[in-house]
Amino acid sequence: MRLKRMFKTITIGSLLTVIFAFTTTSPFNSRTSIRLPYKKAGLTAQQAAAHLLNRFSFGAKPGEVDAVVAQGLENWLEAQLKGKEVDNELTTHLQFMDALLLSNETIANTYLTPGQIFRLAIKHKLIDKDSAKSLERKEYRAQLKEIMDQEGLKPFQELQTQLINQKILRAAYSNNQLHEVLTDFWFNHFNVSLTKPQCQQFILPYERDAIRPFVTDDFKQMVLATAKHPAMLEYLDNASSVSENNLLSQSPARAALQKRFEKPLNDRLADTNKPGNAFLKQAVAAKKTQGLNENYAREVMELHTLGVDGGYTQTDVTAVAKALTGWAVMPLLNDAPGRKLIEKIGKDNMEKRGFVYQGDFMFRADKHDESAKQILGKTFAENGGYYEGMKVLEMLSNHPSTAKFICKKLAIRFVSDHPSDALVQEMATSFLKHNGNIKEVLITMVNSIEFWKDDALREKIKSPFELAISAIRATNATVKQPLQIFNWCTKMGQRFYFYQAPTGFPDKGDYWINTGALLNRMNFGLAFATGKIPGVTVDLLALNANHEPESIEEALRIYSHLLLPERNQSENIKRLSALVRDENMANKIADATSKLPQPELVPETEMMQSTPSLKRNLNAGMRKQNQTMALTTGNNSTVSQVTGVIIGSPEFQRK
Amino acid sequence: MIERRAFMKSGALALFASGFGGLPSFIAQAANSNKIIQPYKKNKTLVCIFQRGAMDGLMTVSPYADANLKTLRPSLYMSPSEKEGGLIDLDGQFGLHPAMAALSGYFTDKRMAIVHGVGSPNNTRSHFDAQDYMEAGTPYNKGTASGWLNRAVGLMGHDASPFRAVSLTNSLPRSLYGNNEALAINNLQDFAIQARNTPIAMNSASKSFEQLYDQTSSSLLNKTGKESFDALKMLNINTLKNYQPAKDIVYPATALGNSLKQIAVLIKMNLGLEVAFAESGGWDTHVNQGTTNGALARNLKDFSDSIAAFWKDLSAYQDDVTVMTMTEFGRTAHQNGTGGTDHGRASCLFVLGNDVQGGKVYQNLKSLAKENLEDGRDLPVSTDFRAVFSAVANCHLSINDNKILFPEWSGNSLNLMKG
Repeated sequence: MRLKRMFKTITIGSLLTVIFAFTTTSPFNSRTSIRLPYKKAGLTAQQAAAHLLNRFSFGAKPGEVDAVVAQGLENWLEAQLKGKEVDNELTTHLQFMDALLLSNETIANTYLTPGQIFRLAIKHKLIDKDSAKSLERKEYRAQLKEIMDQEGLKPFQELQTQLINQKILRAAYSNNQLHEVLTDFWFNHFNVSLTKPQCQQFILPYERDAIRPFVTDDFKQMVLATAKHPAMLEYLDNASSVSENNLLSQSPARAALQKRFEKPLNDRLADTNKPGNAFLKQAVAAKKTQGLNENYAREVMELHTLGVDGGYTQTDVTAVAKALTGWAVMPLLNDAPGRKLIEKIGKDNMEKRGFVYQGDFMFRADKHDESAKQILGKTFAENGGYYEGMKVLEMLSNHPSTAKFICKKLAIRFVSDHPSDALVQEMATSFLKHNGNIKEVLITMVNSIEFWKDDALREKIKSPFELAISAIRATNATVKQPLQIFNWCTKMGQRFYFYQAPTGFPDKGDYWINTGALLNRMNFGLAFATGKIPGVTVDLLALNANHEPESIEEALRIYSHLLLPERNQSENIKRLSALVRDENMANKIADATSKLPQPELVPETEMMQSTPSLKRNLNAGMRKQNQTMALTTGNNSTVSQVTGVIIGSPEFQRK
Repeated sequence: MIERRAFMKSGALALFASGFGGLPSFIAQAANSNKIIQPYKKNKTLVCIFQRGAMDGLMTVSPYADANLKTLRPSLYMSPSEKEGGLIDLDGQFGLHPAMAALSGYFTDKRMAIVHGVGSPNNTRSHFDAQDYMEAGTPYNKGTASGWLNRAVGLMGHDASPFRAVSLTNSLPRSLYGNNEALAINNLQDFAIQARNTPIAMNSASKSFEQLYDQTSSSLLNKTGKESFDALKMLNINTLKNYQPAKDIVYPATALGNSLKQIAVLIKMNLGLEVAFAESGGWDTHVNQGTTNGALARNLKDFSDSIAAFWKDLSAYQDDVTVMTMTEFGRTAHQNGTGGTDHGRASCLFVLGNDVQGGKVYQNLKSLAKENLEDGRDLPVSTDFRAVFSAVANCHLSINDNKILFPEWSGNSLNLMKG
């Protein structure tokens, strides 16, 4: 009967897809329809749905495999690619997060970094140049807090917490799972990092405005959006890559204007008694030493588009860097000097001189290298201005090397750590044919039998984030303190948003799986299932319609099937049941726990300008969890122990 | 551990290797493949301490004899005279900050070298960029995927121990990014199966996991699972709990003190540790830096006392351990308007070990006259950090391939190590 129903849904599904394809096809861009060849690969619809959910979501929720089969796999995928599913549950979870929609400008003037707070303290004379007069730490903090409260200012920490929390909550509760998975993928591809103070304030808007809207669209759009975003401009230093090689900066009238404008600044700097001058001087000195900076140019080719073997040379790097000189961030701070200058002269007048203003991005014609350039064998005539950089990025985005590089990366993420050349080639052809449309590339990928073959199934190892979120989803857990999940991900080796290098986290199993990380994965499973993660609650009995399993074997069987749908678990169950069979275990554990002393907490090492409040939370959480541990034991401890072992088991690490 | 080392020495390895009960499987494997087993051989260990925030090299190891310094730093100047802070005179030219008294004896007995004027050729004054470049080991290339210490681990090529490269931090530092396995751990006691902290639950969960990982069809999970449980057995949590430093050794109760204490445990347990990484923060002294007292003095005391405690604790292992410190850049030659110093260029670093040609300040400094300062304000870099890092790695870790260790660099290593 099931087979029959399956057949029916598939037929309707494909029919719908075909209709859909016809109705939405633009005349220029024929849309490939989704035809999943899983039957050919010997999979049932159930198995195929489980595989789809493994790769295109952060894990199946209870009953979701059946739901996808009922909806039709193609339909489900179509809807996921669209990403327009209603998201009421997620909305509820996000409703009190007030920073999610703020602009770069508001954030920069509201969520102050330690440096900005320091300047605020100097402004309000909380810190004096005479050391004797500086306030005691406690008093300083109290006064600073009062000033910040009055002016509606907040520490950056609070924004960072919202950034981290929203990622966890979206991944756990969004119905648009594929968009979340892809946001994770593309953010990592165009990585920026909270470890860099200059870009940290812009990372939330970056993910929201430069990544999220484009995750299934044209690749080129994402390259352009990231290139122009303050977060990337600061992270890879393009904002400070400048040239004087243009007529504007050489004009005498401009030099005179510049001098007039800088006069108050220089007067101020001459007065050594002025507070804050040290910083100003430093900023001015830093400005003066500026010149060409190749960081972004190199990485946009090596990491974002062509790939390291994409056929470019150091000469190309320098030329691309020159083409992108003058690409900068609008002055965002309320008291930024550049802002006054733009206001004084007027945007219109500036635009007449070749300046470009787009939201928070600006092109500074007076800092652009206007010489002619050779890039990848193509000539760019002199005086190309803003459009030169645009053309270069478009050329890089549509390059055959890019198609191959991006498609291989996608195949590695979604198919296996070692995808075949044939598959990558097929996807790259689709990439080029559809102008880098990611949706088309993904459809080509799932239409290939390689996606469904035996050696692709469960071949991928979950990242720590994927592991944690899949546990939450598989058990319908309620997450009230997402930061606790972040702390566990850190322990397991994925301090997301903090990866320092522009490469992003490596996407391969042997990066994630090492001895320390693996033990922490097992510990995560136990902590999660036994209710030891503060603010994360799991009702394991509710998953089984509030029936307590009759025996350990049954518990193992039930929870294995719930957590690992469509996988053969008989061997695991047989082996495990012998081990967890001790009937008095719960009592013994409760007994022993009550006698244990509180473990000592070792303070964490400071990591750069890291996050003291996170650490405080973590430590407080750990303390609390140690206190409540004795209370929670005894209750259903067998079921939770069993579930913990399943989550920590090798099978649950795979997707 | 003692027995194991003894039996390794006796060469009776093959006898024990074939499926002997308590023996970690990688030892058995290595024995079967006739490989030399590194973890239990006495390993050389390099301990790196990163001082994040940029330490003021000009106050830590002060060129007090240079008259310009007093002019540049009217209220921050120190000299060996008691009235001027009582620096520990090193050679009539340089003086060590008095807060570092605990380490000064090692300079005197020639086991500690100081390198002054160290830094990166890239003149960035951003903490992030400078740390990034120094840790990647490529001052002009951000995209270098690996860190220099990870490449060092790879060049040594000993692939046996899970404790080969350990960082006492909550996430892996840039220095250890890369293909070679490295462990980031805040507290060694976390290296255990933590099931309600009871022996019974722990044991039961641990056994269950071991069984499951033993039979998984994923070879990666299978192999790493085995290694994890071997490592667990090696790093017996009870031994850890009962661990005491050598008699009369007290580590400062600070982050750095704790990190070094745990590195000492790993070294003493002979777990095959080759590269250890620890860090210390709070060096960004823009305000009220102080002289004999104050922010910098406090930090230097912690830094120096922690290293000294570590070194004494390791008395029996000193031949095999070298400690090297590093910081991303130095601070302005002149003091600023808030009793501190701002981001500069060169700083100084310390190398401590029995294979160090110590008792000397290695330097190439010019006077601090304005015309000698970089951009008219900073002590210029006269020694590339790679010249020091490579020298230490070449000698202490027997690494020869500096092209891989520091790609894009063709300079000469500094001759500060023996042999």
